[in-house]
Amino acid sequence: MIIEHERRKADLLNFLRSIQRPDFPLPEIDGDLSLVESGLIDSLALLQIITYLEQAYNIDFREKGIDPGDLRSVNAILEFIGRETVA
Amino acid sequence: MFFDLAPGRLIEPLTGRTWSSREIVARVFARMQRLQSEGLGHGDRVFVLYGNKLEFFVEVLAAWHAGASLVPADSRLTSFEIENLARAVMPRLLLVDSSAGVAALSGLAALGVKVTDTTAWDVADGNHWNVGPIRSQAHMDDEALMLFTSGSTGVPKGVVHTHRSLCARWLALRDILGLDAYRRTLCLLPTHFGHGLICNSLFPWLAGQDLFIAPPFSTECLMRLGRLVDEHKITFLSSVPSMWGLVLKASKPPVAKSLRRVHCGSAPLSGRLWREIQQWAGTKEVFNAYGITETGSWVAGTSVGEFEPEDGLVGVPWGAVIKILKSAEPNAPFDRDAPCRAGETGFVWINTPSLMQGYYRQPELTAQVISGGWFYTGDIGVVDDRGWLYLKGREREEINKGGTKIYPADIDVVVEQFELTKEVCAFAMADPLYGQNIAMAVVLKDESAATIRALHGWMKRRLAEFKMPVRWYTIDGLPRNSRGKISRKEVEERCAAKNPLDLQSILGAK
Repeated sequence: MIIEHERRKADLLNFLRSIQRPDFPLPEIDGDLSLVESGLIDSLALLQIITYLEQAYNIDFREKGIDPGDLRSVNAILEFIGRETVA
Repeated sequence: MFFDLAPGRLIEPLTGRTWSSREIVARVFARMQRLQSEGLGHGDRVFVLYGNKLEFFVEVLAAWHAGASLVPADSRLTSFEIENLARAVMPRLLLVDSSAGVAALSGLAALGVKVTDTTAWDVADGNHWNVGPIRSQAHMDDEALMLFTSGSTGVPKGVVHTHRSLCARWLALRDILGLDAYRRTLCLLPTHFGHGLICNSLFPWLAGQDLFIAPPFSTECLMRLGRLVDEHKITFLSSVPSMWGLVLKASKPPVAKSLRRVHCGSAPLSGRLWREIQQWAGTKEVFNAYGITETGSWVAGTSVGEFEPEDGLVGVPWGAVIKILKSAEPNAPFDRDAPCRAGETGFVWINTPSLMQGYYRQPELTAQVISGGWFYTGDIGVVDDRGWLYLKGREREEINKGGTKIYPADIDVVVEQFELTKEVCAFAMADPLYGQNIAMAVVLKDESAATIRALHGWMKRRLAEFKMPVRWYTIDGLPRNSRGKISRKEVEERCAAKNPLDLQSILGAK
C-alpha cells in the first residue's frame, strides 16, 4: 500500500514537473503547498491535471464533477486518487 | 439609464457579500467626497489597481461623477510596468487595496502620484448611508475610461473612451439584445479589459440588472460553474474560449434552466467547442461576441435567430456598420473599388458611434487605424449574402493567450534592454490550453547558463508572469526582410526546427 502510494506520488511529481513554471524548484514542493496559489502552475493548467488523472486512473469527471479542493495540492490529489481507486 | 445612477445590485457569489442599489448609491456619494478631498477634480485620472469586487464598481461611478477618468490596471503587472504606465498618464491618484504591495510602488511618489489604500475607506463608508445630492461633474464628451491594450513596458497604447462612446455602446446593446436575458449577469472575466468591464459588467449593471462578480478566471468558480449558475439563478454570463476546457471537464452542467444566454469572445471560437457550450449551458443562445476595445467591445454577434455553430462565424453588427474592404490603408479606404463583394475576403472596417476618441497622446497611431470615422480592426473577414460576418484571420501583431492580448513588442523592449542581448523577437506559439502562448528567440553575446539566469531574473522584475515567454530559443541571428525588418513569422519557422532551451535545468528547477 505504501509502495503504491509512493509510486503514485512519484508519477504525479513527474507529471507536475512537465507542466510547472520553469523557475520553481520542484524539491521545494511541500505536499500541502497550493499548486496554483504558490505559482507553481497556472490556474488553467488544472485542466492538464484533470486530463492526467483521467488517463492514468480512468476517472470520468464529467459524470461526477470535481471539488476544486481535490486538486489543491499534491497531498489532496493523492488522497483523491486513493478514494477513487478504492471506489 | 446608464448615466442616471440607478444600477442593479452587486453580489459576490463566493463571499456572499451583496450591496443593494441604495447602498451602492450611498457608497458612491461617500467615495466621491473622499476622492474630491484627495484633490481629484474634473479632468483628472484615477488609476485603480484592483478589480472584480464590489468596491471597484463604486470606484468607477465615484470617479466618473467627480468628473474624472478611470484607468483600471491589471493587478498582475509588475511595479516596473505600473510605473511606466503612470509616467505616461500621470494620474492624480492610484488606488490600491490591501492586497497590493504599496512599498513596491514607492517610485510613484517621485512622479507626484498619490498612492492611496482604500481599505479603511471601504470599512468606514459602509456605516454611513447619508446620501446628499450627487452633483455630477461629468459631461458626455469628457474622457471616461482609458484601457491599455499594449505598451506596458514601452510607449503605452491607451484606448480613450468618452462617456458618449460608452453610452452609445450600451444603448446599442440594449436596443438590439434587450435586457431580459441579462437580469442576473455573472462576470468571470477580468474587469480591467473591455470585454469584462464595458460589456459583461457595466452594460447590464448600469441598466439596473443584478451583477454577480467573481474573481477573474477563478478555478473555484469554473470548476463549480453549473452549481454556481443554479444557486444564483444566473441568466447570463460571458466567457472566453479557453475557460471552457476546464468547465466542460470539471463542472456538471446547470440543471435549473435559469441560464438563457452565454457570450463567448476575445478569441476564435471553434464550431465544435461552440456546440459543446450550447449543450452544457442548455441553451442555443450561445453567441460568438466580436468585440474590440477600440469599439467599446462587443460590436457584432450571433443574434441571428436559428444558426448552426461553425468556425469563424460571428453574425450581425450590434450598433455598427461593418464593411469588408480590399484595402487596409487608412488614407483612401472608400474608393469605388475598395468594398469586397459578398463572399469575398478582405479587411474588416467598422463604423460605430461607440468608437474610441483615440489612442492617448498618439495621434499618428490613431490616424493609422481611423479614417473618416471608420476603424480598421486588423482582422480579415468576409460578409456573406445574408450579411453575416465571418472572421478568417488577423493582421495585427499580437499573441492571444486565452483571450488576453499580449503584444510581442512589449516583451522585446524589456529583453533588448538587458546588457547581453544583441537582438530579440517574441512570437506566438500554439498552445493546447490557451490557443496561443509566448515563445522568444534571442541573440545573446554570451549563451552561458549564468547569462540565461540573469536574463530571466531581469525579465521577471519587469514583466508580469503571464507575459513571460514559456519557450526560449537562442539563435545566431534573426531573419530580416529586404527592408531590414524582422519577420516574426520567419523567426517562428526557423525556431520550429530547433530545440528550445531546457529552462528548468538552467534555472535550477530540476
